[in-house]
Amino acid sequence: MAKIHMDHISRVEGHGALTVELDGNTVRDVKLNYFEGMRGFESLVLGRPYQEIPPIISRICAICSAGHSITAHMSVEKAMGIKVTPQTELLRELAFLGMMVESHSLHVFCLVLPDFFGYAGVADMAAKYEEEIALGLRVKKAGNLVQEAIGGRAIHNVNLTVGGLGKLPTLPQLKELRQELQKSLVEMEAVVDLVAGLTIPEYEGEPILFKAVRPTTDCYGFFGDTVLFSDGQEFPADQYTASFQETESEYSNAKPSTRDGEAFMVGALARINLFGDRLTGKAQEALAKLAIPVPSTNPLYNSVAQVVEIIYALERSIAICDHFLEEGIKPEGPVEYKVQAGTGIVATEVPRGTLYHAFSFDNNGRVTAADVITPTALNQASVEKEIALLAKSQIDIGEEQLKFRFEQLVRAYDPCISCSVHLIRLA
Amino acid sequence: MSAKPRIGIYGLTSCAGDQLTLLNCEDELLAILDAVDLRSFVMAHSANPEGELDVAFVEGAVTQQSDLDLLTDVRSRAGLVIAIGTCAVWGGLPYLAGKGTAISQHIQVDFSIPGCPIEKSQLLNALSALLHGDLPLELPYPVCLECTIRENNCLLQRGEICCGSLTAGGCGARCPSHGVACMGCRGSALDPNYQSAQQILAKYGYTPEDILQRLALFSGEGFSKEGERVG
Ligand code: SF4
Ligand code: SF4
Ligand code: SF4
Repeated sequence: MAKIHMDHISRVEGHGALTVELDGNTVRDVKLNYFEGMRGFESLVLGRPYQEIPPIISRICAICSAGHSITAHMSVEKAMGIKVTPQTELLRELAFLGMMVESHSLHVFCLVLPDFFGYAGVADMAAKYEEEIALGLRVKKAGNLVQEAIGGRAIHNVNLTVGGLGKLPTLPQLKELRQELQKSLVEMEAVVDLVAGLTIPEYEGEPILFKAVRPTTDCYGFFGDTVLFSDGQEFPADQYTASFQETESEYSNAKPSTRDGEAFMVGALARINLFGDRLTGKAQEALAKLAIPVPSTNPLYNSVAQVVEIIYALERSIAICDHFLEEGIKPEGPVEYKVQAGTGIVATEVPRGTLYHAFSFDNNGRVTAADVITPTALNQASVEKEIALLAKSQIDIGEEQLKFRFEQLVRAYDPCISCSVHLIRLA
Repeated sequence: MSAKPRIGIYGLTSCAGDQLTLLNCEDELLAILDAVDLRSFVMAHSANPEGELDVAFVEGAVTQQSDLDLLTDVRSRAGLVIAIGTCAVWGGLPYLAGKGTAISQHIQVDFSIPGCPIEKSQLLNALSALLHGDLPLELPYPVCLECTIRENNCLLQRGEICCGSLTAGGCGARCPSHGVACMGCRGSALDPNYQSAQQILAKYGYTPEDILQRLALFSGEGFSKEGERVG
């Protein structure tokens, strides 16, 4: 029996290893091992005051820290019955969109594109494709500028608080942001052309079961109250324990999930499959041009879906800036609230897919129970399933080629291993 | 030393925020990559020749055997080891969780850049000092100094547990400049002024434990029970 082992998957966030066991032409076993150290967030949050929860939880992962921070704020507020103002909601959405642009750009330009051009990373690729990389970095920077303006820091924001924001952005700040966002939106046209010209490697796949939060409005978006599977099953976010099952893994520090034994995929490709028909403007045009086959059978299109979402996030950010430039910023502080006991369960769509936060508090606002489920953990069973399908259909290409294709496939899911192993579960 | 310094960038148990801070230097990244001989950066690069290094940057705390193995290996190959981020410098959140230790508990560290995450400016200054063959300078002042220069209203004086007088400067007093109390994410200042912070907060009914509990979030091994800097 042949065994293909890769002890450190590169160009992903965190530490992961892959072992594929082959018996002739049969795939015996696929083990994806996320061996990032456990940072023990569970013992960290227990008993800590509610205001500290978002900044602590933010440290699960830097790349999507705004997503963790905002989702944690929403969970605290839901638990205590705190209703923030529409202005706060919009400003938070803006910070969230900045994260989407930054995270997707990092993945597409720095981690994925080098594969398609035959390079080991941006450093090598920049020697010949300096303009392409520089363009990608400019778009990424626009995302970070948004996060800095609203969050006070690009990674682990300091300005978002329970009930509102510490300091409000000024109109000149928003005007400048809008200009930068607009520049990036124009630059993304060249990116769409570049990506449209790439050949996405195929293998004999199967229809993928997708899952994503249904946006609250009829528009595309990342916030909502229910979670939809592509076969039509839909669950309220707070009934997540009924919508999929987590399993303990003997070999990985993350817990893979299935729905009744069936793997499912979350992330940009899932959102495009489920709600891509709601896109408008340049994002809609990009989707048409990039010709992502829907329903998708090939997870490698996730990076292409991320390109579409960068454009969506830029357009939506510009719309939010325009709203404030027309209506002005109300000089309001965080809303008044009463600290009280309760549980808040929230699902959002962060760059890599559905993120669940569930926190319970006692009357003094101290944490009594916590549960965080991250997209990378949700995706683990799907990655293993697709690796098996890929190995089965491409077994003849030789070990070196197979290794490359495996790594490329894992990377397409944009795993964030720091996130996945920092599961927090307290009864 | 080869013409370009041989650099390695490593993550132990971490959130990757300090490595990401380098990738967030969008305006400077290509110039940096050009000025150094990058021998290892697994987060961003596939082919990593490793081997002897002039400078290794290490992020994250030691929480498991594989962290320790990597750290020991890196130390044996590197001329200078630079700890980046509060997790690596003080143990950070993993220390509070009872699982992590600062890297200086295991190997000799030549320079530390604290922050959660580190500040771009400090990273770039360190890189340019190293490129000139110098060691970077440690910032001697606490967050309070930067806060006073910015003429912020003092939150401590209003009865909020602000850790600015106890925390290493360099962030430009980000939090108090947004009206939010400093949580001490950069770890202990060289000379923390604990007595005075405690006296002010006592007027508002806070106990020393309240302050130490807040400091414990990021400072890991950095404070004694008396609020003095350790290490
Ligand atoms: S110091 Fe902060 S930013 Fe750096 S790895 Fe630790 S938690 Fe992340
Ligand atoms: S205690 Fe806090 S608010 Fe007051 S001066 Fe120092 S850093 Fe600023
Ligand atoms: S003010 Fe304090 S908590 Fe805020 S960034 Fe600076 S050191 Fe960190």
